[in-house]
Amino acid sequence: MQLHEYASIIRSKNAGPFCLTIDIFFADAGGYALARRSDLLTVPGVARAYGVAESDVKGVWWDERVLGAKVSLLRWSSSSDPFCPDLFGAHLHTPLAGRELTDPRQQPEAAVT
Amino acid sequence: MTNSPTVRMLGFVNHIPPAPDIEESIARALDWGVDVIVAQGTGSDWGPYWLGSGGQVQANVAQNVRPYVQAAIRHQIPFVFSFGIAGADVHLDRCLADFDRLCAAEGWDLDVAVIRSELSKDYLRERIAGGAAVRPATADAGLVPELTRRDVDEAERIVALIGPEPVMAALGRGAAGVITGRALDIGLFMAYPMLRGLPTAVAAHAGKLLECGGLALEPGDSGQCIWAQLDSGGLEVRSPHPGYRASVRSLVSHTFYERSHPSLEENPGGCLDVTDATYTETELGVRCTGARWIERPYTVLLEGARREGFRAISMLAVREPALLRQVRGWSDAAEQALRSSPRFAEHIARGRLRVATRIFGLDGVLGPLEPNTEVTGHEACVVLDVVAHDRVLAEEAAYFGFIRLFIGPYPGRKTTAGNAAAPYMPVVIPVSDVYTFSIYHLLPLADPVQPFAAILQRFPGARLEAESRINATA
Repeated sequence: MQLHEYASIIRSKNAGPFCLTIDIFFADAGGYALARRSDLLTVPGVARAYGVAESDVKGVWWDERVLGAKVSLLRWSSSSDPFCPDLFGAHLHTPLAGRELTDPRQQPEAAVT
Repeated sequence: MTNSPTVRMLGFVNHIPPAPDIEESIARALDWGVDVIVAQGTGSDWGPYWLGSGGQVQANVAQNVRPYVQAAIRHQIPFVFSFGIAGADVHLDRCLADFDRLCAAEGWDLDVAVIRSELSKDYLRERIAGGAAVRPATADAGLVPELTRRDVDEAERIVALIGPEPVMAALGRGAAGVITGRALDIGLFMAYPMLRGLPTAVAAHAGKLLECGGLALEPGDSGQCIWAQLDSGGLEVRSPHPGYRASVRSLVSHTFYERSHPSLEENPGGCLDVTDATYTETELGVRCTGARWIERPYTVLLEGARREGFRAISMLAVREPALLRQVRGWSDAAEQALRSSPRFAEHIARGRLRVATRIFGLDGVLGPLEPNTEVTGHEACVVLDVVAHDRVLAEEAAYFGFIRLFIGPYPGRKTTAGNAAAPYMPVVIPVSDVYTFSIYHLLPLADPVQPFAAILQRFPGARLEAESRINATA
């Protein structure tokens, strides 16, 4: 299943003009646990999903209280760029949301920052 | 001032129209008690256009604040508002003129402390000449590593996101309220509780939770207001509207909102750290404790916009299946014809002309990051986007590109009377001047108040001055 199928909310927004932040809130603890095990919501996984350098991914954070994850990236085209396609950064979650969430149980748990 | 102060705050967003039943929510908050009413009305989400152009987002702030100011006057509660989206003087003055008309129409008579946060270029040139190191607020964004006099000269306008201190100074002067230009949202909320002696960490935590009004409630709605009671140990947040509620989930998830980091937030003079904050449901809301404030050298964020040129676009809609299958190749060929034309090549080489093509139905949102290479729907829209040094060049290049798209050949072409549908007249649409955030830098300040002195103004009556300032800059 894809990431968005496990989430009740996936919201994408600017955090200042130059940073994009994506908040994901999972529908249940099972989805949250799976996402935390998977390699999608890691710095390399996010970089792969968007096709950007790992250094452009500022971090991935988790909050069990709200079954939430947060991903922040440097914007590849910000509102400061004359050709920015998404002023508010509201629709840039889709490359991540459409990725398969797989369970790499054989791999060590992804590093948490 | 008391020894163990509590402060009750009502928060909302003044650039969003209030819910139709907002007066009932305000009445409920007043039953709980309200010591200050606070609302943000500035931001950079709208991009650099408004700051650069001096134009106004027509957000109707005077009407939006009317029910809140009415409550403030009736109950002698001070209010703190930032006005004008981009929040430079020209934006603030238009909002003040509208607010003045509102006061006249309602029969209000108010002394308001007005704080301007646009910085004069002379002030910044002097600071730079005096050795102030003005560095980017964010790394890797392509900003100049240290602000120079030239950057100041080239910017159309420069504003500072003022912290709580200028608002505290203004509140201390006994005005009915304070209205600022561009300001740090949470600083507006921090000012009154800090003035009453509450810890900065609690004031900042309240600001973080209340700055977007009812968006931090469940369900989130910025047209609703939000209430909190602060004391030296923390705060309790409640929803004045019974159809909404503050929950642990709504508040914790709101701390994520529009911040790059979930628990650390850099602010003037310090970092708000909510890593160890706890949230506990109460009978009517949520008790929030445990935020920390880590002192830092005092800086304010500057935003400055520089003109990049003038934009003209041309739009063509494609429904012909033979063309849809190769729409990117066809539009790339048209763009390439434009780029290599003797009329335009020199301008492009000198950076006076830039061209991009967006294809809605293929790569309109993600652009070069879009992994799909084919249109999968039955139609698409091609937008040729030109930004040039001046309007004439932009329109000329866009028309050249339009013609190439309209009549340019493609393999298997049968549509020899025209390749696509032109939905708009004129076929070249002049859009506007285009701006960039050339300044997004931190200015060190020894005195957080000094450049942002409040001026007491009487409403109604301040409109003539506001309008003369607008006319002088027009």
